[in-house]
Amino acid sequence: MARLATVYKECDQHEKAYQAQDAIFVARKRNTNAKKVKPMRWVKNVGLGIKTPDSAIEGNYVDKKCPFTGNVSIRGKILKGLVISTKMKRTIVVRRDYLHYITKYRRFEKRHKNIHAHCSPCFPVKDGDIVTIGQCRPLAKTVKFNVIAHEAQRAKTGKKTFRMF
Amino acid sequence: MIDGVRRGITREGKHKRRETGGRRSQFRKKRKFEMGRPAAMTRIGEKRIHEVRTRGGNKKFRALRLDSGNFSWGTEVCTRKVRVLDVVYNASNNELVRTKTLVKGAIVLVDAHPFKSWYESHYGVKVGVKKNQAAAEGGEEEKKQSSHVTRKLTLRQKGRTLEDAIDHQMASGRLYAKITSRPGQSGRCDGAILEGPELAFYQKQLKK
Repeated sequence: MARLATVYKECDQHEKAYQAQDAIFVARKRNTNAKKVKPMRWVKNVGLGIKTPDSAIEGNYVDKKCPFTGNVSIRGKILKGLVISTKMKRTIVVRRDYLHYITKYRRFEKRHKNIHAHCSPCFPVKDGDIVTIGQCRPLAKTVKFNVIAHEAQRAKTGKKTFRMF
Repeated sequence: MIDGVRRGITREGKHKRRETGGRRSQFRKKRKFEMGRPAAMTRIGEKRIHEVRTRGGNKKFRALRLDSGNFSWGTEVCTRKVRVLDVVYNASNNELVRTKTLVKGAIVLVDAHPFKSWYESHYGVKVGVKKNQAAAEGGEEEKKQSSHVTRKLTLRQKGRTLEDAIDHQMASGRLYAKITSRPGQSGRCDGAILEGPELAFYQKQLKK
């Protein structure tokens, strides 16, 4: 059972502006003998039966686009796909394969679509993993989805196989 | 000066390339609901605010010059209207520091006197006293206080902590603060006094 931190732990400050969660007052004086100690990390339940990962609750990263510790809501479509690229900063490319029916020949053809999704630091995503993504508001020109669940895959299958979910 | 293309700032994405890299051809002219306006570039100076009529008949207050704002001291829960003295740091653009532009997220220096006098009257202790000054003012006359007042003050001493960094700033009469309002939208320059880890971070940035 993951527990929220009661002591503030600063995240790695790589940017030129101070990175901290909006909902937490970082400089708050701690009352040492208070019965109920307020947590120093803000985490939310995304809803739709999605479980918030322990690494989001116990971690100290700051990501305003994370569905669990940031300011985005998951609503609309929920899709599953294969991760093909993790080279972008905190975003991934997810490939969704599907079959398209040609009526004249009564056969199928393979098609695919790539989706850019924001990937929170709480998910250790690698190429070839299966990932569940949920629709959110536009976060960038091409990013309208956010990773909400992650299923690591063994290296055997890789990212070149045709898989429908 | 006749152009085929209409000038003006827009907020639409139709001029940008597609995700695949392909160019998009223009299929309609610029619309009023896509319009943008020039930035405010609020400076420090005597208050000058222009009212803008926006979509739906609503108002925006474009501050062109501001000199003071409502700044709050979080840990002491004390908010005072203070003068903004100088822009010291901006994470996005050094140019904005050079031109002393007030924007949200900019680190500024504000006048410390209202906070200092509040603290001294609330806790009854002298704040921001320089070392050599303290020795000289040894024999200052004690103001007569009623027992009720002295009891109140001693109660408040419990759990009272003042950060060293803030104490130093009080001595110089200027506090570091971060602007949290948007001067070009609301016409106000409000913010919060920097404290704790955030203050340490920005002081380190300033030293660089």
